[in-house]
Amino acid sequence: MVCAENRKVSKTGISEMRKLLDLIRTDRLTLLKKKRFEISLTAPLVGYIVLLTIIPVMYAIYLSLVDPSSNTLTIRHYREIIFHFQFRQAVFNTLFITLVGLSLELCLGMIMAVILSHSFRGRGVFRAILLISLGVPTIVAAANMRYIFDTSGLLNQTLLRLGLLRVPYDWTQGGMTTLMTVIAADMWKVTPLVMLILLAGIESIPVELYESARIDGASRWKEFWKITLPLLKPSITMALIIRGIDAFRIFELPLILVGRTEPVMSTYAYFEYFEAININTSAAAGTMLLIMILVTIIGYLRIVGTQEVVY
Amino acid sequence: MRPNKRWFVVLSFVAILLVLTTLWLIPIYLMVKISVSDPQDILVQNPDFFSTHFTSRHWVGVLAAGNIWPPLRKSLTVAVVTALFSLFLSVPGAYGLSRIPGSVAHVFLIGIFLTRMFPEVGVALPISVTFIRGGLFDTDMGLILAHMVRVLPISAWVLVATFKAIPQDLEEAAFVDGATKVRSLIHIVLPLAKPGIGVALIFSFLGSWDEFIYATYLCLANKTLPLMVYYYVSRGGWFLSSTYATVVTIPVVIVTYSLQRYIRSGYLRGAIKG
Repeated sequence: MVCAENRKVSKTGISEMRKLLDLIRTDRLTLLKKKRFEISLTAPLVGYIVLLTIIPVMYAIYLSLVDPSSNTLTIRHYREIIFHFQFRQAVFNTLFITLVGLSLELCLGMIMAVILSHSFRGRGVFRAILLISLGVPTIVAAANMRYIFDTSGLLNQTLLRLGLLRVPYDWTQGGMTTLMTVIAADMWKVTPLVMLILLAGIESIPVELYESARIDGASRWKEFWKITLPLLKPSITMALIIRGIDAFRIFELPLILVGRTEPVMSTYAYFEYFEAININTSAAAGTMLLIMILVTIIGYLRIVGTQEVVY
Repeated sequence: MRPNKRWFVVLSFVAILLVLTTLWLIPIYLMVKISVSDPQDILVQNPDFFSTHFTSRHWVGVLAAGNIWPPLRKSLTVAVVTALFSLFLSVPGAYGLSRIPGSVAHVFLIGIFLTRMFPEVGVALPISVTFIRGGLFDTDMGLILAHMVRVLPISAWVLVATFKAIPQDLEEAAFVDGATKVRSLIHIVLPLAKPGIGVALIFSFLGSWDEFIYATYLCLANKTLPLMVYYYVSRGGWFLSSTYATVVTIPVVIVTYSLQRYIRSGYLRGAIKG
C-alpha cells in the first residue's frame, strides 16, 4: 500500500503530498490509539530482544572493529584472522558441512517422510523411534558419537570384524573423512526435524490429486516427481532455511568430535576467545559468520522468492 | 502395478525403515550401556556390542559423590526460571502481536524469527564481556537472562500461533457486554490458550535445560549439567560422561514423547499465515 502511495507522490504536486502525509499520520495515530493496549503489551518483549540480542550483535561488530589499546576503528582483526590458516580452514569446513550435510539430510528426510506418509501397522512406533534424536541434547549426541567414531569405537569394531579394515582407522584425524564424521553425527541429530517438516507438507497435499493421476495411469515414481515434489516446494524451502541457519552455526558436534583439528566458524570464534584470549578476533570471526549466514539466506530467497516462506 | 513389483516396494520400504531405526537407536543404546557396564567390557582393545558384566558403580558414584547436585540444582533453577520469565514476556507480547493488524505485526514476527540467524558465539561473546563487568558472570541470573535470548523467539512464535487460532469474535462479544480489554484477555483468551501456553512453557524449559553455548561463555565454577558432560568428555572419562549424559537426556526424552503431537512445523507456519 505504502508503495502505491509513494508512486502517487512522485506524480502529484506538493499540496497533494501534504494531504497524503496528513492521511498517513492520522492513520498511524488512530492505529496507535486504538491498539495502545496491544502495543504496550508487545513493548517489553521487543525491548528485551533489542536489549539482549540486537545490541549485543552491534557490540560484537564494534568489538571486531576497534583497536583495544587506542580505541580507534581498525580492520586489523579481520586481516589477522584472514591470514590465519585455521580461519580459512574454518570457512571451508563450515561451507562444506552446510552444503553436503544439508543435501544429505534433505534426501534422507524425504525418504523417511515418503515412507512414513503411508499408513501401515507400527507406523507410530517407527516414527517415535526416529524422533528420539530430536529430544537428545546436542552435547549428549556429540558425546555419544564418540562411542561410535573413537578408534576403539563401534564403527571401527564393525569394520574390523567384517574384514573391511586391517587396523583401526582414526576417524577424527582431519581431512574429508573427519568432516563426513561430523556430517553423519549432525544427520543423526536433525534429519528427523527435516522429516517432520516434509511429512507435514506431504500430508497437506490433497488426496484427489493422486487419485486422478492414478486414473490417468501415472506410476508411483511419476506421481512423486510430478505431484509430491512440486507441491512440497514451500516445505522444502522452510526446511532448508531452518536447517541451513543451524548448519552454519554448528558448534557442539565439531567441538567434541574434532576439536581444533577441523575448526568450523563457531568453534574458531570459541577458540579465539577461550584459548587465544582475544575478544576482538573472536568478535571478528562471529561477525564473518553472521555475514555468511545473511548473504546465503538473502541470496537463496532472491532465487527462490519470498512468497514460499510467507506461505 | 503388478503384484510382485508392489511386494518389492513394500519390502524395500520395510528394510529401509528397519535399518534407519537401528541406526537411530544405536547411539542411545551405547550411552546407556556404557553407563552400566563394567570397565572390563568397555576399556579393551575390541569391545563387544553387548556387555556381559554390568555394574551400578558409575551411577552410585555419580549420585553419591555429590558432584552432580550443584549442577543439577543450577540446571533446574535456570531452566524453570527461564521458562517462567520468558512466558511473562512472551504471553502478553504474542497476544499483542496477534491482535495488531497485518503488516506491522508481520515485520516484528519476521524480525523476531530472524534473530535466530545470529550466531550464538557472536551474541554470547559481548554478553559475556558485559556480564563480567556487571558482576552477572557465573551467576544463575546471568545465565537466565542469556537463555531467555534463545528461548523467547520460539516461545513467541508458538504463542502467536495459539492466539491467532482463538477467534476475535469472542472478545468482541465480551466488549459489547462491557468487559475491558484486560478482563477479556484474562477471562476469555488466556483460558482458551492454556494448551499453547503449556507447550511454550515446556519448549522454553527444554531450550534452557540442554543449552550449551551460552553456558560455556557465562559459567566458570558453577557449571550446568551440559557443561559437566562436556567436562567429562574432554577429560576422556567414558563412564562418568555417559552417566551424566543419560541424566541430562532422560527428562528431555520423556517430555519430548509426551509432547510429540505438538512438535510440528504447523506452529511455525501458522504464525505468519496472515
